Amino acid sequence: MTEPADDIEDADPGLARERTELAWTRTAISFAALGGVILKSHTYAGIPILVVSAVIWQLGRLARAPGQGHARPRHLLLITVAITGVSLAALVISFLGSGLGGFG
Amino acid sequence: MSQPRGRSRWWASAIELDSADGTEPDARFTFANERTFLAWSRTALALVVAGLAIVQLLPPFPGVPWGRHIIGTPLILLGSAVAVISYLEWQSSQRALRRGEPLTRSRLPQLLTVTITVIGLVAAALALFSAVTR
Repeated sequence: MTEPADDIEDADPGLARERTELAWTRTAISFAALGGVILKSHTYAGIPILVVSAVIWQLGRLARAPGQGHARPRHLLLITVAITGVSLAALVISFLGSGLGGFG
Repeated sequence: MSQPRGRSRWWASAIELDSADGTEPDARFTFANERTFLAWSRTALALVVAGLAIVQLLPPFPGVPWGRHIIGTPLILLGSAVAVISYLEWQSSQRALRRGEPLTRSRLPQLLTVTITVIGLVAAALALFSAVTR
């Protein structure tokens, strides 16, 4: 354990840790892109989404940390809750916010 | 997790994983399950964004009041459904991994196919109707 592994496959079989960290990063970037777009028209909704994006990025780095290989229900639940919140905000914006050229 | 049993909160079952149940699976399986959940989450987010973009950015359908809402709202709702169902499926997969049971088949591909097909047909009908009655 103390010596560095000769083969990357010994330290991270199938590169599962690295691929998982990258998947978290992609998810964080998805949130960041949405937050950036929404920020322009609805600042109050955009800022929390960008904060969530930063949190997800950090949780992804945790996936890579040594000794982390257990299930983490709370971290995943955060994403589900965040998406549910975003979709509620999207419903509010689409029914109360001003779209392009009125209804129709 | 360490709170006393019996007085479980409503969300306790959502984050509980029966850690005493079964054995800790190979970390590769846990990571793979997590990546699958993350991939579905990005799909869910994309659906919500698509629905919001249709309602907010698309020019209105002439002669069809609420036309954009009819297409966009179901996409937003589908997105939140995918987010919730993918978490439940992650949970049941992780449980099956712990117990060494076979994984259950995901219902998300079917849900996505059927819903998007229906929304597409409705969108086509709206566009035709709007063009004919203009």
